[in-house]
Amino acid sequence: MTFARPEYRAAIVGAGIVGLYTAYHLARAGAGPLLVLDRGFLSSGGSGRNGGGVRQQWETRSTVRLAREAVAAYRRFGRDFGHNVWFRQGGYLFLAEDPGELSRLARVNEVVRSEGLPARLLDAAGVARHLPGIAPGAAVGGAYLGSDGTVYPFPAVWGLYEAVRRLGVEVALGVEALGVERDGGRLVGVSTDSGGVRTRAVVNAAGGWSGELSRRAGLEVPNVASRHEIFATEPLKPFLDPMVVRASDGLYFSQTVRGELVGGLTVPHVPGTQRGVPSSPRFVTSMARALVGLLPRVAGLGVLRAWTGFYDDTPDGFPVIGEDPRLPGFVHANGFGGHGFMLAPSASRRVAAAVLGERVDLDPREFAPGRFLGPGAAPTAERLQLG
Amino acid sequence: MRGEPGRRFRFGRATLEARDGDSVLAAVARRGWPSFVRSVRYHRPRGPVCGLGDCAGCLVRLNGRPNVRACRHAVAPGDVVASENSWPSVRNDLLGALDRLLPHGLDTVHGLRRPAWATRLYQRAARRLSGFGRLADAAPAVPSSAAVVASCDVAIVGAGSSGRAVAEAVGRAGARPCLLERRAGAGTPVLASAELHAGTTAAMLSPPVSDGDRFSLLGFGPAEAGVLVRARSVVVATGSYDGALLFEGSDRPGVVTADLAVDGPELPLGETVVVGGGARAAEALERLAGDVVAVVAFGQIGPEVVRAASALEVPLYPRSRIVRALGTRRVRGLEVARRDGGGRFRLSASTVVLAHRRLPNAQLLFQAGARRSWLEAPGAYFPDLDASGRTTVPGLFAVGSAARPAGGPGVSADAVARAALGARTESVASPPPAAARDELLPYYRELLGEPRRGKWVLCPCEDVLLEEVERAAARGFHGIEVVKRYTGVGSGLCQGRYCLPEAILLLAVLEGRPPTEVGFITQRPPLVPAPLGALAALAHDVGEGTVP
Repeated sequence: MTFARPEYRAAIVGAGIVGLYTAYHLARAGAGPLLVLDRGFLSSGGSGRNGGGVRQQWETRSTVRLAREAVAAYRRFGRDFGHNVWFRQGGYLFLAEDPGELSRLARVNEVVRSEGLPARLLDAAGVARHLPGIAPGAAVGGAYLGSDGTVYPFPAVWGLYEAVRRLGVEVALGVEALGVERDGGRLVGVSTDSGGVRTRAVVNAAGGWSGELSRRAGLEVPNVASRHEIFATEPLKPFLDPMVVRASDGLYFSQTVRGELVGGLTVPHVPGTQRGVPSSPRFVTSMARALVGLLPRVAGLGVLRAWTGFYDDTPDGFPVIGEDPRLPGFVHANGFGGHGFMLAPSASRRVAAAVLGERVDLDPREFAPGRFLGPGAAPTAERLQLG
Repeated sequence: MRGEPGRRFRFGRATLEARDGDSVLAAVARRGWPSFVRSVRYHRPRGPVCGLGDCAGCLVRLNGRPNVRACRHAVAPGDVVASENSWPSVRNDLLGALDRLLPHGLDTVHGLRRPAWATRLYQRAARRLSGFGRLADAAPAVPSSAAVVASCDVAIVGAGSSGRAVAEAVGRAGARPCLLERRAGAGTPVLASAELHAGTTAAMLSPPVSDGDRFSLLGFGPAEAGVLVRARSVVVATGSYDGALLFEGSDRPGVVTADLAVDGPELPLGETVVVGGGARAAEALERLAGDVVAVVAFGQIGPEVVRAASALEVPLYPRSRIVRALGTRRVRGLEVARRDGGGRFRLSASTVVLAHRRLPNAQLLFQAGARRSWLEAPGAYFPDLDASGRTTVPGLFAVGSAARPAGGPGVSADAVARAALGARTESVASPPPAAARDELLPYYRELLGEPRRGKWVLCPCEDVLLEEVERAAARGFHGIEVVKRYTGVGSGLCQGRYCLPEAILLLAVLEGRPPTEVGFITQRPPLVPAPLGALAALAHDVGEGTVP
């Protein structure tokens, strides 16, 4: 495959939700010719493998704000992009198994409330109201925000894909970026398995493969690809409104518009992309045990299909957004740690701003790639470890 | 108790008697054609299709538990069986009006977005339509904590003739194989030489990571106990199944596969049209003799069928296209067109038996990562194998009709047994030899060129229409992986067994490229919906280690 042009204003690597949204914002800003590359087919990466959760309950105010903007974007998505993403604001319910966990949730709750969102702390009875059939004693309480919700990820990818193509963006699927071309200290192009092409900027929105791409560009980054597994059950009539999350084992699940329970659980994996994405007996059985333990009435329900994807993890659990100080023109839009789908609409605006050399209204200590460079490693904020 | 007739159970408002060994399907079918469930989106009437536990045509609520397959559950006295996804009854379901109100279906990708204020209403309505049954009334009375854990040199999946032959050969060599068979007790002779797990469904196969490791085979057995078999070698002998065929009304009750009509329980078939012209059609003709009123085939009709049909004085319609099935709650007839430009005609029939192609049950091999190749006839992917049945996954073997099409050169059970007991070696597996040319691809090309009306339900589990797939293709969403995600085709309860083989051919026509370029889906585990309770019971035995 050859490219339609010899030169682009920016080449975006990754046709997932972050890459396509970035292309969309750039095209709307009239940035000039744009190219999006993806090694796979549309939605073959994390954007086609996630649980569709979109929450605003975060432990830092800046992330709450980004998430809030994303919620607004998903509410509008159908009007803006002509695709129904089935965004349903059924809430996010965090479970606490002990008082210590509950007080941790309470602190997060404070942060969320300080941003004006009506997050609530629940006692065991309050949890049971949102999670019918919960096993007695399974939670002492929880945190809940009703305007959090879930999207059906695929149509969001289709809608953006069609939108960027209408705006003249070239999307090359099945083309892998192999590295960047430099002229002195300057980025002048991207090399691919279909040949090289000139560009003034490269956006690394490669999800689980972003660390690999940065390293191919000669940039050492701390991003680690970690495998996470997920499964869907047979469909049932709706009985569960919120996305349910438990920090202790990373359990999360919701009931999709199709009626399936979709969710995951963290089990230890050897890091890296080299072994592909098989499903493991370890996950399937642990996840089943966790679900049945929490909701005994689902014990007879069949697991329909399991799959696996990569999180793009950073040491502090926050994404990397902005130009790499070591290589002007190389812009990071990665490290979302499994939260790319929920933050993409707002985070990608900042990525586009970085490409255009405009001011990025994010605290560099929290989001800029430079925070991992130099002697003082970034402080690690308290995390709600979530799927 | 054995041999004693009369087991009473409730089906809706009626009290029925089951005979010993009856499945719910068999017992209900004694009273008349069985209807259990309506379809997901449009509440179309549905009937049993496969009799294997794969399709979504016989789901019932059993003793307060949703989505139980009537064909798989042996009636126990006092069982309470109710229909699902219908109100007030499965026969007269008010939501069945949706089918008429939405002649072109719902466009779930682009539709139901406007006006914005109505989004919540759409959400609620769409959610109500989804799913089949309601959440179980209660947790299972007996906690399904029972787990069966076995370890053996050679695990054989499937106790049909090929699986048994391998088991015997392994036994002769002095080893003791584990044999897993999906069918329960009846009809499965117990092998002295093997540890037999009858009524056990294999759901997931995880290959060893290093040479000394074993395969982990996960499944579930009778009473939904979790089953974990660790084996040095695994032989897949899961046989083949009868594929579907797409036409208007191909999802109507009464359109069944030969698996159900030939090998399933006694059903009130009535006037029956057999579709197909090969060995399986001949088998159907012999088994259903008195009921068969016609044989229709999209290609030529073979000599076996001609012989059987002439003895029964059954008319043959070779090179014919099924235009549509007439009837709503049950097939009333078939409209057929001669492909050579002849006219259209109608056949009166209440059952259509699909016996036109056997497809390999090779999903377990592909899920475990075995390389596959496309074979034009019957239009399916088969595993690459060497002469001893080795797949490209060291230690994983295939034999019988899951390995190679019937009628062609197969794999010898003795060779497989020897190799499975020997050292694990890399195989020099090769694709199956091409036999005949695919007749179904040109058939579908012709079909897509004809004007159509009514709903063509490509994926009956999720009510995905042919139109939706065409729309995806027209908008430039190409390849089965993308179209699966775009339309949901292949993601329903049967895991794509019945729609994907057709979808690949249809996409080949729509995208104007060979089926191999349309691709195939990543086979995801479990291959059959595996109860959460059964899997949960295995968590301890699977262990806590890091996933390699």
